[in-house]
Amino acid sequence: MRIRSFFFVRRHHRLILVIALLITALALMSLRAKQRSGVDFLDGLWLELCSPFHEVSTGLAKNLQGLFHLPFQSSRLGEENIELRQQVARLKEENSRLKEAALASERLRRLLEFKETVRISMVGAEVIGRDPSSWFKSVTINKGEKDGVRKGMAVTSPEGVVGQVLRTGPHYSVVLLITDYNSALDGLIQRTRGRTIVEGRGENRCQLKYLLRTEDVVVGDIVITSGLTGNFPKGLVIGEIRRVEKEGQGVFQEAELVPCADLSKLEEVLVITETRVLPSPSVEAKEAKPKKPAPIRRKGR
Amino acid sequence: MKHFGFFLILGIVLLSLQVVWGKFLPFPPARPDFTLAFTLYLGFTSSSFIGGSLAFALGYLTDLFTGNVFGFYALTRPLLFYGVQLYRSRFNLDGFVFQSLLGWVTAFLEGCFVVFLMMTLNATTVPNLYSKLFRLLLPQSVATGIVAPFVFILVNRTSAFVFYRSKVGLKR
Repeated sequence: MRIRSFFFVRRHHRLILVIALLITALALMSLRAKQRSGVDFLDGLWLELCSPFHEVSTGLAKNLQGLFHLPFQSSRLGEENIELRQQVARLKEENSRLKEAALASERLRRLLEFKETVRISMVGAEVIGRDPSSWFKSVTINKGEKDGVRKGMAVTSPEGVVGQVLRTGPHYSVVLLITDYNSALDGLIQRTRGRTIVEGRGENRCQLKYLLRTEDVVVGDIVITSGLTGNFPKGLVIGEIRRVEKEGQGVFQEAELVPCADLSKLEEVLVITETRVLPSPSVEAKEAKPKKPAPIRRKGR
Repeated sequence: MKHFGFFLILGIVLLSLQVVWGKFLPFPPARPDFTLAFTLYLGFTSSSFIGGSLAFALGYLTDLFTGNVFGFYALTRPLLFYGVQLYRSRFNLDGFVFQSLLGWVTAFLEGCFVVFLMMTLNATTVPNLYSKLFRLLLPQSVATGIVAPFVFILVNRTSAFVFYRSKVGLKR
């Protein structure tokens, strides 16, 4: 019997291997879908082993790109310098206006006795790799669990929302971009305050879902995070509406959004590691007031 | 084991090239799939066990760096490997045109299969699917077809160099 089974295995070894590997792949898919911690550990381990290769390649690519562009760029440097100086002057002026506005807003907040203030902690990270396929949209960053990055954390850039952390290793993480088909985010139309879901559509585009037909949405409207889902604080810019469709019948209208952050040219990102809701200074002051000292007991009473 | 380790490192290097150098291309969708070409090479040259395990490992690593939540490439790459291995005696590996054509066709078929899996398992609707197949998948598969013969030559020469050198070392 043993001899017969040995010959069977030898004769059909290729078929057995194919079946074994396919079963392993399917088991892996199933475990990933159930988000089991064993798969996360394996992912983190391989992420840690492979990412240094990506980091070296990125460094090499950047150096080579710099060398290639240097002779062409030197002629443009003067013009760029003038442009940048003008931009700095404009930004300084804008900055002082915004400071004034922030102070006014703070005064009004105190007057209205708003109970909460949001404080956000961020970690800066460098993009060291991109998605190897055309269908999915993700980037690899050089910050991981040792830097406080966890699965599901929001990732943003100065221009706008980038995505959320999908996989983590001790020193590296994979970020799912908002344009990926698997990405969905709760959003808010900044002008009308209408609620919507921002879903990825690939190719640097998102789709607005469940946007009520009654909402007066126009091309150019900005969509921000609602703060209701995941780790995204309220008010982060997601993108700008480029197309609105009210054709046909139904409760909802369709709209297309282009992310404000250029996701095809990302180099640095910010991972929001903590969103803390702090009590306002007036509330803090009330809470910090010393209690009335207990009356001193007199002798003889 | 030595072959497995060497080919795995080579696969990781090719994956790094694919991940990093893609963004410097003037037309991003035309990003060649180096690891797919490498899997095809393994299908022609490696044994069932080593090649199959490597194809699976490379598929798993590709999944790791994509936004692919389930992990479709760990399933498609071993299938591709065994498909090539099954028919390898019927093809002429040395032909540049054949290698290119094989790279192109397999990349296109794999892409279609991944989209099918994505739509079936993930309940995702891909709007304008057919136009996207042509705009995204066709340039990538053509680019993979173009680079496939070069990957074959590169891997062939590198492995010949490494293993020839190690044999010489043993003789001494």
